[in-house]
Amino acid sequence: MDIKEYNTVIKTRRNAIFPFEIPLFLGPISLWIVLFVFGPLAITIIFSLLKSGEFGKIIPIFTLNNYYKILKPEYLRVFVRSFLYALSANIICLIIGYPVAYLAAKHGGRWKGMLILLIIIPSWTSYLIRLYALKTIIGNNGIINSILLNLHIIKQPMQMLYKPGAVIFGLVYSWIPFMILPIYSSLEGINPELYEASLDLGAKPLVTLFKVAIPLTKGGIFAGTILVFVPALGDWLVPHFLGGSKVMMIGNLVEYKFINVGNIPEGASLATLLAVVIILILYTLIKIGGEEALEKVV
Amino acid sequence: MKYLKRERNILLLVSMIVYIVLWAPVIVIVIFSFSNSKFGVRWEGFTLKWYYELFHNSDVGNALKRSLIIAFSAVIASSIMGTISAYGLYKFKFFAKKFLRTSVLLPIVMPYVVTGGSLLVYFTRFFKVPLGYPSIIIAHITFSVPLAVLVILGRMERINWECEEASYDLGANRFTTFIKITIPLLMPGILSAAMLVFPWSFDDFVITFFVAGIGSTTLPIYVFSQLRYGTTPVINAIGTIFTVVTLALIILQNLISNRKADNSG
Repeated sequence: MDIKEYNTVIKTRRNAIFPFEIPLFLGPISLWIVLFVFGPLAITIIFSLLKSGEFGKIIPIFTLNNYYKILKPEYLRVFVRSFLYALSANIICLIIGYPVAYLAAKHGGRWKGMLILLIIIPSWTSYLIRLYALKTIIGNNGIINSILLNLHIIKQPMQMLYKPGAVIFGLVYSWIPFMILPIYSSLEGINPELYEASLDLGAKPLVTLFKVAIPLTKGGIFAGTILVFVPALGDWLVPHFLGGSKVMMIGNLVEYKFINVGNIPEGASLATLLAVVIILILYTLIKIGGEEALEKVV
Repeated sequence: MKYLKRERNILLLVSMIVYIVLWAPVIVIVIFSFSNSKFGVRWEGFTLKWYYELFHNSDVGNALKRSLIIAFSAVIASSIMGTISAYGLYKFKFFAKKFLRTSVLLPIVMPYVVTGGSLLVYFTRFFKVPLGYPSIIIAHITFSVPLAVLVILGRMERINWECEEASYDLGANRFTTFIKITIPLLMPGILSAAMLVFPWSFDDFVITFFVAGIGSTTLPIYVFSQLRYGTTPVINAIGTIFTVVTLALIILQNLISNRKADNSG
């Protein structure tokens, strides 16, 4: 075998992808997605178009009734409320999360990694137990109220739970790490000399923040928004623990219909609507934020 | 310089508030797990009896065992499927690649109630899967594979693919190369995927709650059912153990990755 022949052998071996390789590597996941992602979503959409009978039965007759039902004001109010809560939580996460990321990235020095770990670690402790602890902190007999009562700052316990503020606070608490992390990783990509240049040219810190840092971290901000807004919109546990029935969110409604009432067609129509809204929001955010936002999420 | 210092102080102030709020519940959990009071948030002296009670509570033991079985199944399945899928998505060019990539990510962006609800309906009304271990494990694999794919794809951007070429040049076939070269190169990514999936699966409540059916109490479901009657010190003790174990895992992972970094240069 001369060298030329040898090279061709190597080349073909290197580039040859056997016809069965693609299905071998990607077959399992494709099958899984079809069976357990698309399948359930398709069934949900189909069931949302069927009639519901007694005792959780589903009658195979086509109807749009479920959708008419959820377009009633009392349901729409829940949708609008969820949207506003998620939006407020997202804006608050951005306003207070950006400084945290900025501090770690710009002034963190050798503590950078530590500062970021301190953001992540609490979110790996049991979510349920943390939410409940949050409830005991801000509750009527909770820690904040007892401290304020003992210091005679207030005469009666403040009612903080079961109000919109409590739900938004809970959403911010749950999701803020997901705003801080992508912004931090964007900020890490900025060349520190840019800050120095901006300082040398006489820009004050706020000007540097708004003219240098924020425009360069647009991708991180969009990624954070995707990671906070979307899960906050569909959250169920936060309003369940901190909200009560008066400040229900759409997630509670879905859970209520599926589990408590067992009215699957109605639950399915709510779930379908929620999924459509979320896909539309994602699509818009990615369109505005560009590919960079998606990369930062990934 | 004066400006910079003031900027740092303002940033420190805001950050301190965020850190305090993030850590307050964790600290409350840890402190009150040692409180002698039967009610969650009253301090009546130090005790270890809740830990004693916890370790002698067979419900907790069973729930823990279930959660561990489920989390380990999810980790093993998602590591294997995540690795080969990420490899396929990274290496091959084919029709509908972008579509497949987007579809893989779909379960991550869907709200938990939608995933949970649709899987429940699917398992009970269409693709009959018994509620319990089978349904929970399938659900957990469904939401953990995308995480594993993402993490491992991220690792692929940074490995030296020339090692693969070198292996071909030395006469190894594709299979041998994949097993002996590619997988070891990807190992840090696979490990960090497992480190991410494990707590995610172990701590998942919402999706499990939907598909668990009756009698398959995992640890988060046990906690939820207990919280209905208000917090108990035993729950705080569970939370404390959670924290300690996660901290240990993080430290372990850091040690592993530091050693890896030392070895490679």
